[in-house]
Amino acid sequence: MVLRIRLARFGNKHNPFFNIVVAQARSARGAKPLEVIGTYNPIPKRPTNLYDENTETRPYKEIALDRSRAKYWLGVGAQPSDPVWKLMSMAGLVAPKPTTFHKA
Amino acid sequence: MPPRMQSRSVSNTLLPYLTATSSSSLSSIPSLSSSSSQCLSRQFSATAAPQAQTKLRRQMFEWLNTEGAVFKHHVPGETNYLTRLKQRGPETSSDASRPFPNNSSFISEPILSEELRNEVYHRVVEQKMSLRAVSVHLGIDMKRIAAVVRLVELEKRQRAQGKPLALPYARAIHEMVPTTPLAQQGERQEYHEPINDLPAHPLTGSQIFYPVPESRSFTRVEAGRVFSGAPAMEHSEAAEISHPSDLAEKIIEDPNSIAWVGKGANARQILQPADVRIPHPHMVALERDRLAHPNERLAVSEKQSKRLKRQDAIEKERRERLQARREKKLTVVSPEDSRFDYRIKDTIYTPETTGADGRGSKAVGRRYGVPHRDRTRGEIKIPTRVEA
Repeated sequence: MVLRIRLARFGNKHNPFFNIVVAQARSARGAKPLEVIGTYNPIPKRPTNLYDENTETRPYKEIALDRSRAKYWLGVGAQPSDPVWKLMSMAGLVAPKPTTFHKA
Repeated sequence: MPPRMQSRSVSNTLLPYLTATSSSSLSSIPSLSSSSSQCLSRQFSATAAPQAQTKLRRQMFEWLNTEGAVFKHHVPGETNYLTRLKQRGPETSSDASRPFPNNSSFISEPILSEELRNEVYHRVVEQKMSLRAVSVHLGIDMKRIAAVVRLVELEKRQRAQGKPLALPYARAIHEMVPTTPLAQQGERQEYHEPINDLPAHPLTGSQIFYPVPESRSFTRVEAGRVFSGAPAMEHSEAAEISHPSDLAEKIIEDPNSIAWVGKGANARQILQPADVRIPHPHMVALERDRLAHPNERLAVSEKQSKRLKRQDAIEKERRERLQARREKKLTVVSPEDSRFDYRIKDTIYTPETTGADGRGSKAVGRRYGVPHRDRTRGEIKIPTRVEA
């Protein structure tokens, strides 16, 4: 069976929070995974506007990732889902997928 | 249930005032603008609105015109509290700082005066003094010092940007509440608040009956060990500590020297004596030096300044090391086609962090099979700290 690296949703209504998990592809989203290798908080955080240097900074989203475990699971054939692929390409673990469209 | 039709137009009592000022914007709604004169009568209620003033309202205006007239204008530098009325009887002068006549235990505490808060900013930012030193010199809590520096910084930026400031409001408030003034040249600075209060530790809340033989010494250090469930110290180890405040210096220099008790998720550091946990342990050391050498004031103060400098340097170095470590673990990616930055933090997944049953509290991510505590009583949901 295929191993996937995918997101598992936690948090309440309107307050999503994701664990980045390694799990069997056919298992349920909320099932206990093989491993939790990170987290992803999709709610952007805004730096306080208390200091001058913070005024130009963009809001940020937080990712936590265990790189060595991610590399191991990729090495043994685990397939990242599309959202996780995007996160992992930003961490430099996989090559970014080519975009099929271009913004006008 | 299907949405029900309104049988007649419902008017808000606020709308007449809105239509009076901005009638042009609402004139597109014919039913509202045309009925604005009728809106004062309450269409939702069968009871007619009282035409005359109520008794309470009449009494309020009576009071405002007679007894209460003295409160209309405040005297600068004096509080304008209701308790002033009561002062005809044999009352103490401290009534000036009690705003509520029926709550004599509430005292309005002084706030920082304009000059004092500017002095705090000047010393911390321009003279580059440590928060600890400024706190001791001016008698202001260290958290308040940090807040003052942040807020003055904000004010300066708003001034530079030409944003309007509520200066008349601030001036009026400063005239009406007690303030702590900045001492003149040569005067002694009045302390704004107690700065060395011991924070209450949850471990000390329990009552423990702990019998100790009379022959054994039992100090605050040992009491802390009892509270945290640690075994008693060896005699030789206990004999080395002549006074609990000696520990403070050692722990400031090396916080990792505090021993741990318990296993796994239950592991905790041993509770330290009050001499270590207070915000300014060096003040105890200074007082002990003064008592030991009453005739060598200069030497004692020199020793104290050296001690403070050493501790500040150690603390600064530790802060920088922590910051560097945090930055090393953090990668910031700013994709061009995104509105957001992504902060990627390195974490470690090992059997040690997750624990034998996979439920360890130190592991990354939300736990499986562990109940959420986010709705239990006493859980603090509002943020308790600001990352600036």
